[in-house]
Amino acid sequence: MNSTRVFDPSMIVQVIPDLLSYLDVTLLVAVTSILLGSLLGMILAWARTGHHRVLRWIANGYIYIMRCTPSIVLLFIVFYGLPKLVESMTDYDINDTNRAVFAIITFTLLFGAYISEVFRAAYQAVPKGQYEAAVSIGLTPFQAFRQVMLPQATVIALPNFGNSVINLLKEGALAYTIGLIDMIGKGNLIIAQNFGAYGVEIYLACMIVYWIMTTCIAKGFLRLEEHLDKGQSLRAKNPAQAKARILPVWKSVPALMRRIQRQG
Amino acid sequence: MELDYTFMIETFYKVWGGIGTTLGLTALSLLIAAPIAFYMAVLRIKGNLIGSGITQAYISFVRGTPIILQILLLYSLLPSFLNVVVKALGSDFNVFDSVDPFWYAVVVFSLNTIALLAEVFRSALLSIPKGQLEAGVSIGLSEFQTYCKVIIPQAMVVALPAVCNITVNLIKGTSLAFLMTVKDVLAIGKIAASYGYNYIESYLDVFIVYLIVCTVIQLAYKFAEQHVGAFRAGA
Repeated sequence: MNSTRVFDPSMIVQVIPDLLSYLDVTLLVAVTSILLGSLLGMILAWARTGHHRVLRWIANGYIYIMRCTPSIVLLFIVFYGLPKLVESMTDYDINDTNRAVFAIITFTLLFGAYISEVFRAAYQAVPKGQYEAAVSIGLTPFQAFRQVMLPQATVIALPNFGNSVINLLKEGALAYTIGLIDMIGKGNLIIAQNFGAYGVEIYLACMIVYWIMTTCIAKGFLRLEEHLDKGQSLRAKNPAQAKARILPVWKSVPALMRRIQRQG
Repeated sequence: MELDYTFMIETFYKVWGGIGTTLGLTALSLLIAAPIAFYMAVLRIKGNLIGSGITQAYISFVRGTPIILQILLLYSLLPSFLNVVVKALGSDFNVFDSVDPFWYAVVVFSLNTIALLAEVFRSALLSIPKGQLEAGVSIGLSEFQTYCKVIIPQAMVVALPAVCNITVNLIKGTSLAFLMTVKDVLAIGKIAASYGYNYIESYLDVFIVYLIVCTVIQLAYKFAEQHVGAFRAGA
């Protein structure tokens, strides 16, 4: 450890472009895990709210176990255990698979458990009368779910979903411990190239990048929430005003980006 | 898949021995963080612009960055920093050899927990109606007394479930202390694993230990919640 060298702030600025070139790996792992994890979460939430006792029991047990497992332990179990398991079952060697795959599997398992709680709570927060009313005017159960329950549950789930996304992004930083070269992995490589120097500066640079990302995501979710909130909560704007701005999600995200850009 | 069960049982007892470090780290961090976090919560509620701005920036930074980076940063910063301080004081105490990394871990996890607890305490304090404070003052208590005897006891009950979550997350988080060469549950498992390449068995042991610890902690908090929340039962 080099204790005589002074802290060099210019190094932070210098390494950021290098680190950013590996940001795509970090984001790829996070986004894929969020998408697959949301699917898993929906299945788990469906199992938990359903009437099948065995399914409910399995889902509850799974969520409980995941809540008690440190993500790094799960990451190690998947990274060392999965190749062994696959090999013993199919004689297929997956040891050389890209490490990002192991990271994605781990974080999908974790995110699914966390997010299923969010989905379940949001779904149960929508009054049951809404569903009954929709069915009684002739919608099929699926239509009622799709057109009445889901839009309302989405708004309720959004703040917690945003929190979970941010948490996942932060936990994704663990992936470097299994040797994935993501942003932190690259940072460690740079430190190694400098024979252990500049550790403080490079870790600080990584933290700044993460801080900016998480802050932007939090702000983005806040905006999206305001946008989708169609007069249900106290926070919602004048209903007439809100109605003029109703857009489907796939249109509202680009619109949002434009608005953020315009505001500079 | 063939698991080596004798190895697994043997390692389980070894790994179980690390539980003292894990729980000690968790408890110490919580104890150090709680008063500071409370002070920060009060600062954010009624502090001036600068005090509340600084705490807000601190909380946002800690909550917005991965804990693994906080560990890596402080573990490369703290020892040299401490060394400079010790040298400046004119002592020839060798920081690098004689400070147990456990204490660096305590610092890191305390700093992290402060930010999380501050948010919880703030929302808990805000959930108590203002009338409680006014009522306390109107019957002749000082504001400080009202806080100690009326508001804080109620706020703690509100905060308890969130504090339980933070504790469980902290226990899980301390597993990262192995990066600082602290010999906690995961570190012992890792050492046992690399000794005979029995990775999966030993990590499964670690997994079981965490499962047991988290279950016990959650049950304890549930028990506490039922007891201190007794006054709300009639409400």
